[in-house]
Amino acid sequence: MLLYENKEQKLLNLLRFTGSPFKKFVSTGEIEEDIGLVHSRQDFIQSIINIIEKEKNFILPIIGNVGTGKTHVYWALKHELYYYNIVYISLENVIKKFYNNTYTEFIENMGIDVLRNIARRLCNEWGALERKFGFFHLGNIEKVKKEAFEKWAPNFDNKDAITDIITAIITHQLDPYKKLEVERWFLGEVIDVRDLSRLNLKHDLRERNNSYTMLKVLVENAMINSVLFIDDVEKIISMMSPISLEEETEEVFDRSWLYGTRQSPDKRRAEKILDKILNLTKIDGLRIIITLKSKEFYKEIVSEIEGKNNNLLKLIKEPIVLSNFVEEDLFHFYKKNLEFFFVHINYFDYIKDFSDSFYPLNDNVLKFIFNQTKGNPREIIKLLIKIFNEILLSYEDLEDVLKKYE
Amino acid sequence: MNESENFVLFDSLKDIRMNGEFTGSIISKWQEKIIFSDNIKISNSEGINITEGLLTGFEKKGNVLNPLSKNSNFDWDMNDVPLEYSVKIPEDTMEKYDQGQFSNDFPFTINLLHTAALLFNDPKYGLNHLDFFKGEILKNPISMIRNGIIVADRVVIDDNGDPVFYDCLIVGRDKNDDLNISYEPIINVDDKVVEYIIILGIEELKI
Repeated sequence: MLLYENKEQKLLNLLRFTGSPFKKFVSTGEIEEDIGLVHSRQDFIQSIINIIEKEKNFILPIIGNVGTGKTHVYWALKHELYYYNIVYISLENVIKKFYNNTYTEFIENMGIDVLRNIARRLCNEWGALERKFGFFHLGNIEKVKKEAFEKWAPNFDNKDAITDIITAIITHQLDPYKKLEVERWFLGEVIDVRDLSRLNLKHDLRERNNSYTMLKVLVENAMINSVLFIDDVEKIISMMSPISLEEETEEVFDRSWLYGTRQSPDKRRAEKILDKILNLTKIDGLRIIITLKSKEFYKEIVSEIEGKNNNLLKLIKEPIVLSNFVEEDLFHFYKKNLEFFFVHINYFDYIKDFSDSFYPLNDNVLKFIFNQTKGNPREIIKLLIKIFNEILLSYEDLEDVLKKYE
Repeated sequence: MNESENFVLFDSLKDIRMNGEFTGSIISKWQEKIIFSDNIKISNSEGINITEGLLTGFEKKGNVLNPLSKNSNFDWDMNDVPLEYSVKIPEDTMEKYDQGQFSNDFPFTINLLHTAALLFNDPKYGLNHLDFFKGEILKNPISMIRNGIIVADRVVIDDNGDPVFYDCLIVGRDKNDDLNISYEPIINVDDKVVEYIIILGIEELKI
């Protein structure tokens, strides 16, 4: 029978064995965040959800300083709105092949089955499942194609792109010998010219108009609503600003030969990206959330959009500002992280034995962290990592380490 | 098999007759032949009329029995109806049948251009091409078995030489001679209980 157990020492030993519960201080769109939002952000997330559920087409700016948890909001939304298809892209990574990359992210999120269902449903609408003698499908490709062009194609601007897409959808459904190749095309793979010509297609989805039109088809015909979360949109403004003399690198050739003296290639590229984002608002039912680091960036983005098309301002919602943690949030965040960590390693006793304690830290240390970081979540995690590393890796007593931070 | 609801439009054995005009997917059995149609009209005054139905089965030409698929109109007087039964396949069953048609798993299917017999169990005129097509996938098989009809999307002849039907609609009589309809994604049939299997030619479906 166990008469006494030093549970605190046991917890510390366990942590020394497993390593710090705080490891990652930057949230990304690739690695899932399992821990939900702190209490003070519940109203914030609810206001975003209300907009998403109320309206079909909008651009909603979220403003938050570096490290306030804008990307974490994406994961929180994804968990809350699990019945939506929420796709994340970061302009830090996706500048080239914008539509193609966005489409690929959508496919990765939704899966090929959604596309198969859309193709089946559209072909059905175009009469592919018409039954001769009440039973037999003839799969008359030319007849279905004609029907599709008459009924459907007029809704799309780019005729070449919609021709490719109709051909691909019909071939996928009605030509079993080419089905697998068309599926590769749907998935956005690189298709060589010989295969494209065999499939009777002009381009694969690397072509801008094809990927945009395919994205439109996918979003407008999926049975699930879509939200596109575009992170780091201030990149557009920073690309537009002229490069300072200190940052300017030595060029082998004068870029003005190609682009003239008025515009830098980066500015042109930034304008193109903004145009492409604005073009996404033409996709019916695509809700767009953008994140920006400051109100100044927001104002600049709005004035750029105003300069392009005044009507688009109607689509831009009032920005929602993401503030730093309040003190109570830090306590909640710290506790939630530890609980999640110990449950994850199957040490369920933590919840029972340490329900009212912040061990191995204490109130004073947490308050110190809050004051030092001014409630910035990223800075908080950085400091927590530092303190935990000191506790777990140094030979100092716990009390001595904590004293430094009280 | 499913419980029969209102899918039996005409059954000479059970003396069932539903007057009216019906559209959808309708199978009628006429002696040893089958009629597929998307319409049927049943009335006391005009009898039974099928417009543009597909008749399948065998027909005798000289001393030879040939497989048959023929597009035709059928009109019978109510006093002299040769049909054994007419059933309308429920739409939800047809949806299942449709979904099974475009399967990824069977891309290399043989379509015959003209209707041909795969198996005919008859002591005098019988033929059996099952061994020749062993391992192949044949599109649009129609089979008459002892107590019913199988309409399938495709048939494969397995290693034992038995036909395996995929994506099948089955119409048949149970032990009480009631008509039933069911959908089966796959069904294995012993070739001894099969009266005949006909593979419909796609050219004839386009007529």
